[in-house]
Amino acid sequence: MLRLVGLRKTFGTVVAVDGLSLEIQRGEVFGLLGPNGAGKTTTISLAVGQLRPDAGTVTLDGAGSPADPHVRRCIGVAPQALALYDELSGEENLRFFGRLYGLGGGTLRQRVARLLDFVGLTERWRDRVATYSGGMKRRLNLAVALVHEPALILLDEPTAGVDPQSRNAIFEFVQTLKSEGRTVVYTTHYMEEAQRLCDRVAIMDHGRLLALDTVAGLLRRTDRPPTVILERATGEERIETADPKAELVRALDQPDVLGVRVERPDLESVFLTLTGRRLRD
Amino acid sequence: MSAILTLAVKDLRLLLRDRVGFFFTFFFPLLYSVFFGILFSGTSKGPSAIPVAIVNEDRTSASDEFVSSLRKTSSLALDLVDSRDAAVDLVRRGVRSAYVVIPPGFGDASQRLFWGAPMRLEIGTDPGQAMTAGMIEGLVTARAFERMQRLFTDAQAMRDNARRSLEAVRSSTGLSGLQRTLLETLLTSVEALPDMFAAQESAADTQPDGTTQPALGGWRPVEITTSQVTRPTAAGRPRYPTSSFAICFPQGIIWGVMACAATFAASLLVERTRGTLPRLTVAPFARWHILAGKAAACFFTTAGLIVALLFVARLGFGVRPASLPLLLAAILCVTVAIVGLMMVLSVLGKTEQAVSGISWALIVVLAMLGGGMIPLAFMPPWMQTLSDVSLVKWAILALEGAIWRGFSPAEMALPCGVLLFVGVVGFAVGAGVFRWSEQR
Repeated sequence: MLRLVGLRKTFGTVVAVDGLSLEIQRGEVFGLLGPNGAGKTTTISLAVGQLRPDAGTVTLDGAGSPADPHVRRCIGVAPQALALYDELSGEENLRFFGRLYGLGGGTLRQRVARLLDFVGLTERWRDRVATYSGGMKRRLNLAVALVHEPALILLDEPTAGVDPQSRNAIFEFVQTLKSEGRTVVYTTHYMEEAQRLCDRVAIMDHGRLLALDTVAGLLRRTDRPPTVILERATGEERIETADPKAELVRALDQPDVLGVRVERPDLESVFLTLTGRRLRD
Repeated sequence: MSAILTLAVKDLRLLLRDRVGFFFTFFFPLLYSVFFGILFSGTSKGPSAIPVAIVNEDRTSASDEFVSSLRKTSSLALDLVDSRDAAVDLVRRGVRSAYVVIPPGFGDASQRLFWGAPMRLEIGTDPGQAMTAGMIEGLVTARAFERMQRLFTDAQAMRDNARRSLEAVRSSTGLSGLQRTLLETLLTSVEALPDMFAAQESAADTQPDGTTQPALGGWRPVEITTSQVTRPTAAGRPRYPTSSFAICFPQGIIWGVMACAATFAASLLVERTRGTLPRLTVAPFARWHILAGKAAACFFTTAGLIVALLFVARLGFGVRPASLPLLLAAILCVTVAIVGLMMVLSVLGKTEQAVSGISWALIVVLAMLGGGMIPLAFMPPWMQTLSDVSLVKWAILALEGAIWRGFSPAEMALPCGVLLFVGVVGFAVGAGVFRWSEQR
């Protein structure tokens, strides 16, 4: 669906993307995981033709480069920064962006109504966006990316700064899009989101691709053992062990242990293994 | 084209939603025009130095001395020009407020007392500077013949002065016999002059051609002919501003359209800083469509503002354009210039606040230089020359040329050409320099 080959982009002396190559398959939810400054947003900007790469190519489904306006017609982007007109209502924002993609008349009306319902803003459709909560704006930001029913949807940190309720709603939207057969590229620095939503995940750091695999495949790469967590009145004790079962048995003999749980290695562990740093460092 | 219109309609909608912006775009210029129109509707205090073109057709020592004496008048900024046509043209184009012509015969007339044709002067004024016309006439008259008029046009004062002087001579003890005799003879004759003028005035001769030969009693030292620098329209009507509103509305319009330029320049920055510009750049059209959409919104708003204000001026204040086609041309050119200015302003800062601040600073300077605050005619000549760099000057001239100055198409070519040049070059430069992203 989307092929990035040898992409490189610099801003002055800062290398934002450094020789990135990857291919995103049709119908998958593809995660771009990395800490802030890893180059995820720049990659998205390059992928949609918003930025011109210093080197490398971007090709969409054999159709050509997204630098071509016609190719961009089948791409929807929900940028990390909310890209909405606060003075317009939610419905007016959707109609405006729909018209930019050549929609009109009954088709546009139906799509706007369906999207407002999809993101749960039907009751607030006439209100100005300025009066929306952060979560509502984030959902509308996502809806705008879908108004022209693109085959490829790029969501750049779609849950940044939203409440848990809106976050769960966005997760459901992504899963719905996947069930409709859309291709979704999802950037995040929350490993639990990537684990929950993505079929494959690319881990980036300092503009470079560190690993690319399914979640299960990535988890197999970590050299970190499971962690047994003992809860005591004085706090938690974390014990990394290759034999968690034995550690659990030992814990049962300790009267001050109030609770026990086991954490398997996750993408955070994978990132730690790959970089020696935690994702949120 | 559809995308451009969609973008433009969005910007117009945003403008309508912004009440403060809408007020300063549409109502502030109207208030400005009406306020200053009313303020200047009566004759008020004139300028401190009125720019005047003077033509010396007489070229005698007397006329040269007269020009020199006028130069010493601090209230006038004199510019000696070669021909009457050149002087009239300067006034018509608004470069000078008035002209003074010293016609042939001035020198000869200045040698005569109490008989013959008086010294003649011709004054032409810009109808747009009506309040300065009387001031100029008074200054010229006062400078030329202030003392002579006082002595020879007030018969009673002349008689009283002579009588008082005669009494003083007769009672004086310090004079010799010859001096006393000569002074008594002179002062007795002067005392009798007014009576002689009155008698001769009543017996004024009628000439064979029917004109009346001025008698000594009707003799005046100077005669000033005034006229307005107007031209007939195709309909034969002379064009001049029917009121101060014909002058203040173009000025108000200029403030309004400049506000449009600042508003839309800032809105381009807002698109970038609030993230909507990146979203627009990934829509399925070329980037120039985005700038064209902004330009179209600015164009429609500016043109709509001008038309709306002129409509109010016509219906509410009786301001009628001299030429509708030329007015439409002027509106088009002013609007194009404002679009170019908008694009230039949008690249002068990195933030909305910076662009707004810089825009208004620049607008105020352009308005000051170009006659948006103080009419050009009230400015010293060097500043009038400097004003050529301000598009405000050309915009006002284009609008006034079509509204009441009675410009011909050829005369409209200069201001309209300058405005179109500013618009096209400004847009090209601004579009070339515009930053599409926060990142470099």
